[in-house]
Amino acid sequence: MIVYFQTHEVLVQGTCIALVLALSIQVPMRMGVFSFAGAGCYGISAYLSAILVLERGFSPFAAIATSVVTTAAVGLVLGVIIQRLTGLYLAMVTFAFDLIIGVLVINGGNRTGGSTGLFGVITNFTTWHMLVLAAAAVTCAAVSELGRAGRRVEAVREDPELASSMGINVSRYRLVAFTASGALGGLAGAMTVMIRTTIAPRDIGFNLIVLGLTIIVVGGTRSWKGAVLGAVIITWLPSALTSIGEWNTLVYGVMTVIASIFLPRGLYGLWLSGVRWWQRHRRAPAPAPALPDDAPDATSRLALASPGSPGAAAIELGEGVK
Amino acid sequence: MQELLNAVTLGSVYLLFALGMSLTWGTIDILNFSHGAIFMFASFSAYLMLEHSALSLGLLILLGMIAGAALSFLVQFVVFEPILRRSKDKGSAEIQVLIGGIGTGMILLAIAQHKTRSNPFGLNGSSTESTTWHWGGAHITDVAVLTTVVAISLWLVVGWWLRRSRQGLALRAIGVDADVAALMGIDRRGLAMVTMAISGALAGLAGILFTFLQVAITPESGDTLLLKAFACIVLGGVGSMAGVAFGAFLLAGAETVLLTRTDGSWVDAISFGLIVLVLLIRPSGMFGRAEVRRT
Amino acid sequence: MAGTRLRTMRRTLITTAALLAGLTALTACGSSSNSSASAKGLPDQIKLVAINPMTGPAAFAGLAANKGYELAIKEINDSDLLGGSKLKLEEVDTKGEAQEAASKLTTAISDKSIPAVFGSVLSQDALAMSPIAQKSQMPIMYTQAGSDGVVIGDYTWRATPLMGTYYSVIKKFIADNGYKSTGIIYTSVSPTLTDVATKTIPELGMKITKTIATSATTQDFAAPVQQILATKPDVVTVLLQGAANPSTMTALRQAGYTGKVLGNSAASAGNLDPAGAAGVGMVWPVDFNYEQKAASSQKFVAAYKAAYGEDPLNYAAEAYDAAYFVARAIAAADSTDRAAVKDAMVAESKKSFDGALGEGLTWKDGTIVLDGVVVEHTADGEKLLYEGSGQ
Repeated sequence: MIVYFQTHEVLVQGTCIALVLALSIQVPMRMGVFSFAGAGCYGISAYLSAILVLERGFSPFAAIATSVVTTAAVGLVLGVIIQRLTGLYLAMVTFAFDLIIGVLVINGGNRTGGSTGLFGVITNFTTWHMLVLAAAAVTCAAVSELGRAGRRVEAVREDPELASSMGINVSRYRLVAFTASGALGGLAGAMTVMIRTTIAPRDIGFNLIVLGLTIIVVGGTRSWKGAVLGAVIITWLPSALTSIGEWNTLVYGVMTVIASIFLPRGLYGLWLSGVRWWQRHRRAPAPAPALPDDAPDATSRLALASPGSPGAAAIELGEGVK
Repeated sequence: MQELLNAVTLGSVYLLFALGMSLTWGTIDILNFSHGAIFMFASFSAYLMLEHSALSLGLLILLGMIAGAALSFLVQFVVFEPILRRSKDKGSAEIQVLIGGIGTGMILLAIAQHKTRSNPFGLNGSSTESTTWHWGGAHITDVAVLTTVVAISLWLVVGWWLRRSRQGLALRAIGVDADVAALMGIDRRGLAMVTMAISGALAGLAGILFTFLQVAITPESGDTLLLKAFACIVLGGVGSMAGVAFGAFLLAGAETVLLTRTDGSWVDAISFGLIVLVLLIRPSGMFGRAEVRRT
Repeated sequence: MAGTRLRTMRRTLITTAALLAGLTALTACGSSSNSSASAKGLPDQIKLVAINPMTGPAAFAGLAANKGYELAIKEINDSDLLGGSKLKLEEVDTKGEAQEAASKLTTAISDKSIPAVFGSVLSQDALAMSPIAQKSQMPIMYTQAGSDGVVIGDYTWRATPLMGTYYSVIKKFIADNGYKSTGIIYTSVSPTLTDVATKTIPELGMKITKTIATSATTQDFAAPVQQILATKPDVVTVLLQGAANPSTMTALRQAGYTGKVLGNSAASAGNLDPAGAAGVGMVWPVDFNYEQKAASSQKFVAAYKAAYGEDPLNYAAEAYDAAYFVARAIAAADSTDRAAVKDAMVAESKKSFDGALGEGLTWKDGTIVLDGVVVEHTADGEKLLYEGSGQ
């Protein structure tokens, strides 16, 4: 098992990075903000932390911390400027922002290493450290899905006008979304350069966005669990498919197309639907309302008379808010 | 003078390519990310045909348009329609259509890469040879002139069709409000297929002409143009025919001028910078519809 | 509702903690031990791994390199260099992705019986692999991969000279044609070509009339061409990759430029074919051409032709010499212990040797140094113009 982990250490690292990157797109998406700024902040943070280590001798953690705070600030400022935009327009601007970072980095002269990039960023940062940081990021994302905060996030996404009329400061949630995407993207970028010791212009750009989006679409757009699932699949599947060899890209493409058509909520959404179906199936034949284990509260007990009743639908909705 | 000719030719290429994308994005709300791959694949199909016999440019163009139309139609039928049918709201449908397009593009890319080993390929096996005309200190090839003429004429034709014909009116209605359009008896599905086919034919045409102009392209060439097409459409405004032409020539002009005055490394930054600027100051682009948001 | 929330939160925290604990246990237990002392003397079979792109855009280079490795290893096994031990080569595909390359390297490192690996031709793969190889003390020999940061220590080697070190062999061509000035178009995407454009060419003695950088998204080469020609240089220099080469050559011819063009080896291997007649007249320096006259080179070319029925590319020649070098080091170390092999490589690199790439080859800072040859793209393919600074 340990040998397996060792030989696949690179894949584990890749999964962590892909996961945090995907979260940087998913977390704002859950608040209805379609922003790819996380990919641009990935680039900023990777170069910044590399420069801090190479020029100033920062420790990897100090470099990561500084970079993440910087990119969070960048995210916030970006958010303040572009928060009026919605949907695809927002996506386009953040996309353009990412590409501009790419150009700046090539033209940055000796500081950024031009088209070669920077290398030799040797530190004592290990895969274990990366796992801890990734887990921390996931925990933060998970917490934002729970309880009252979670429901408010839902509201801001589903119906901003209604949320606003209920006293939720939609603008503030949006800005938090931008800041979070900047911080998460920055974390992914900083971790990458610490573990790979190099960063180059070709590592940042369009492919990061495609990677993040694909993970979310395959895994699930609504929850961190989807991001984890997607990151694992997207990172490990190509290696498992070594027999496919050069048709790697084709398989990837087919997978993406199928996921986009048949899995609107991703694989995690499929899992949830399956769970719900099984629970409904389990409940159906019981004439006397035996209480299912996961009935949230007393009011739903009355609705258990028949599966098709509105009460059952209410239970569906209650569980479905995930 | 030469600068101007270069800018006009480049702008025509951008226009031809972006026309198809703008058509579908502005009316049936499909942002087709496989447009670039279809553009490339049409040219690739022509290249494969040329391995058997030396066809003329005219035949190649016809072939490219058929290939492009067929591919786009297929993508709409197999990928986009099912997505739209199953989706619950516009937002998630948008993302899925995006991803579906990216995935399809990857499939086409993989096939072309396999055959060409990612080496550049061209249409120099064709029986048509390109001639260059010189006058003054400037020069231009007949293919470049053809491209410009075709681009502008098609732009005019599509624009007229959207404005004056019944189908064009129906399409614009769908673009404004798909639900009401359906209530009015417009067959959204059928029209969407037709529109995608037209968009694909335009992509195919652009592909053949572009390959002739550039002499060689690689399987990855389509994706590069995709970004430029965005810039054009965004600059001009989604859904506006005048806009996409404006965007195409403005972008081409800016890039050419910059290349002339500087050493070229900042050309990309300007294109992207323009997108950001326009989206911040005037999100609907120069000629697009204004979007109102209250929150 | 409070009950559910607490329960869910607790569940999440417990799951996360459990995951963390599990992973900690795994990482803590796994400590890579490098002190695997193999017995002195060579085992009957020695396994080597070649990690190269066998599919994707760089496949043509990766596959050619693999052919070179295979030929060399077959010859070595037929000879007595390793005293009866046989080399066995495993070829793995990086699929053109740096992460895949790093992953394959890590797999090879964990197999303690492997004394050395052959690294990828792509710089981006090499940049990901070198830190791992150096840190885990696995000798790695690259071909191509000409970027900075690839050869970073005793364990990293490169059997291909840097283009910047041999490009100056083109001086004779420049002198013979009396070129006093040049205009340069180059791609900022390639560090090697950027280096040659901004550092090497200016030192060749010509006046630089204009330099233009293109990027990955440049579609229009007519504009840079027009810019360059407007400054009336004696000769045009085009340092581009992929489809940009035939596009630019055609644009130059259409603009009325009929002279020769100084290029780079990225225009080889059929990349100029789509340009047809317009591509004729591009001249560039390269580290190897199958027509070069050195005896050891011709011996290699004959063997390659006999084995594969075609003329060898420079990628194959580099790999051939790389394999022989590693084999000699293993023979000198008389062991498959990686540290011993590394020391033997260092010692071996102090000698000059004759190989496919030429005679009197030497090493400097872990990379081969040689004079280079100049070839021209003619209507019948690539022709050797001259070799080295002499003939």
